[in-house]
Amino acid sequence: MAYVPSDKPENLPILGRFLAWFTKVENSKYIIGGLVAICIGLFLADFTYKKYGHFEVEKYKGFYGAYGFVMFTGLILLAKTLRYFIQQPENYYGDKAVDREEYPKEQLEKLGHKDV
Amino acid sequence: MFDIIPTAFIFFAGALLVAIAPSHRLRSAIAILVPVAAAWQVFNIPTGVFAQTEVFGQTLEMMRVDKLSRVFALIFCIAAFLGNLYAWHVRDRVQQLAALFYSGSALGAVFAGDLITLFFYWEGTAIASVFLIWARGTIGAYNTGLRYLIIQVMSGVILLSGAALLWRETGSIAFDKMTLGSLGTWLIFISFGMKCAFPLMHNWLQDSYPAATVTGTVILSAFTTKLAVYALARGFSGTEILIYIGAIMTLFPIFFAEIENDLRRVLAYSLNNQLGFMVVGVGIGTEMALNGTASHAFAHILYKALLFMSVGAVLFRTGTSKASELGGLCRTMPTTAIFCLIGAASISAFPLFSGFVTKSLIVDATAENHYTLIWAILVFASAGVLSHSGIKIPYFTFFGHDSGLRPKEAPLHMLLAMGLTAFLCIYIGVNPDPLYALLPYEVEYHPYTMNHIIAQLQLLCFALLAFVILMKSGLHPPEVRSINLDTDWIYRRLLPDVVMSFGRGLAAVWHSAGQSARMFFVDFYSWLEKLLGPETGISGVRPVGTMTLWVSVLLSVSLIFAYL
Repeated sequence: MAYVPSDKPENLPILGRFLAWFTKVENSKYIIGGLVAICIGLFLADFTYKKYGHFEVEKYKGFYGAYGFVMFTGLILLAKTLRYFIQQPENYYGDKAVDREEYPKEQLEKLGHKDV
Repeated sequence: MFDIIPTAFIFFAGALLVAIAPSHRLRSAIAILVPVAAAWQVFNIPTGVFAQTEVFGQTLEMMRVDKLSRVFALIFCIAAFLGNLYAWHVRDRVQQLAALFYSGSALGAVFAGDLITLFFYWEGTAIASVFLIWARGTIGAYNTGLRYLIIQVMSGVILLSGAALLWRETGSIAFDKMTLGSLGTWLIFISFGMKCAFPLMHNWLQDSYPAATVTGTVILSAFTTKLAVYALARGFSGTEILIYIGAIMTLFPIFFAEIENDLRRVLAYSLNNQLGFMVVGVGIGTEMALNGTASHAFAHILYKALLFMSVGAVLFRTGTSKASELGGLCRTMPTTAIFCLIGAASISAFPLFSGFVTKSLIVDATAENHYTLIWAILVFASAGVLSHSGIKIPYFTFFGHDSGLRPKEAPLHMLLAMGLTAFLCIYIGVNPDPLYALLPYEVEYHPYTMNHIIAQLQLLCFALLAFVILMKSGLHPPEVRSINLDTDWIYRRLLPDVVMSFGRGLAAVWHSAGQSARMFFVDFYSWLEKLLGPETGISGVRPVGTMTLWVSVLLSVSLIFAYL
């Protein structure tokens, strides 16, 4: 990048300033807190209407939440295990493979923020 | 010649104009006007069979228009328009031509009423699309393109063999619903399966799409695989084996996507997973399920293009699409980030986004037809989609750890293409009725019930919570520069290794045989030398007098015998 501006808020676009809020470590507690609150709310919502479904299990309160949580965790841990078997360095297929090549510069427009 | 112009020909005519147009702006303008003209035709054409022609006693149907072909044709036109708008900056005439020939061929195949027309356009998509990979202009892309082309053309050849066998069996080349049984139908099925990226036949997709150009991948993502889904829906709806194939397709790519570093390859795996949902719908084959397949293909083309566009824009500005090198780009590319989040929400099927109103048709169809295990797999796969496309793509690109990169926002035409696509993703999600009206059968389905909304939100939000916990506890696999082996290892590593070892073995045998032969001749020569060589008695040097002496002796002996 030719030019890296400082992250002074006035250097960022307005929308960027807004989104940057989510990247700050000190704000993560609000994001996580909000998510936990939403999850609790969604679980409680199950008590407010009559659940129906093709399978008996769908009628349990919080079934989808539990299924999503457990299966997602299982997926990540299994995928992590899979890495031990199939992960290889980028030059595994040699240096003439796409994974090792730089993308041709003339086809790109690599510009930094505030670059002319 | 024809009663109406086949839609594919509009694209080919546009391609001819592009071939001679002098300025790249003019070429780009033609490339975005052609799909608009084609969409207008597709939208207004009545159902029926048009543009028939006789070739070698066979009737070819170039335009079989019904609700199934129309909905696929329409989304192909929209995808071509959006893809070409995204590629407005491209000056490379080859890419512009390839994009038009490719999308035109895909439309031709969708409208094909017979297997021979289908075959021609099937191969057309293969040959035109490879130029979008080769256009990258590197050795790696050239090799990848060759692998892609071999597999795609092979699919076409298998289709032609199947069509020929079917013709011999039934006397018809019509492309209608088939029942798996004879060799001909199996070959056609396998040919469709190759393009649809069935398990173990899938890896051309993840191998080639990340190798194409920034804009090429966006265009590639729309056509080939969805053409195959259409072909399966037309030819093999209700074929039960497809339910199981589709379920496996939804399942295995989510594990690979989770640990893949190149985000365009993550999206290729995710594409594979989404195809699985559509294939399950075809396998169930009820009206609801086929509606689900068609509508999901429609919605999927849009949000997948949107995701490829946003990652493409990042690649365009930073030169990389690897998660390990990116992060924190939302500061200076916020609009792209928002569009990416809309694509992510759509593919994850959050309420009010397109995936929610289309995928649920398929998932509910499995439940309605009592495929309990398949239903459980699809719900799991839905959480899996969230993990790689919903979270990984936006989080590791635009949020997450700060890579220090501060690229400029994507150019205006890219933002425009992404904006339009994002609008369609939300519009379909908020108001699904216009899409439902396009579907092959009447839709009696209401996605927005309390039951459905809460269930889906629970699934996704609790999965998000799991992600947060895994990230906080350090259990989430980090993004590192690496590749993962898949079935392409067989033909990129194993087979070459086997052939090389065989070659080395042969060379060793040849060498030792040569050695032995040489040793034999050396030994034989030295034996001859010992026997007849210059050092032996037989070739020793004798004085001339000795010969005279012996001649005299012989003559004397002769004389003595003569007088005896």
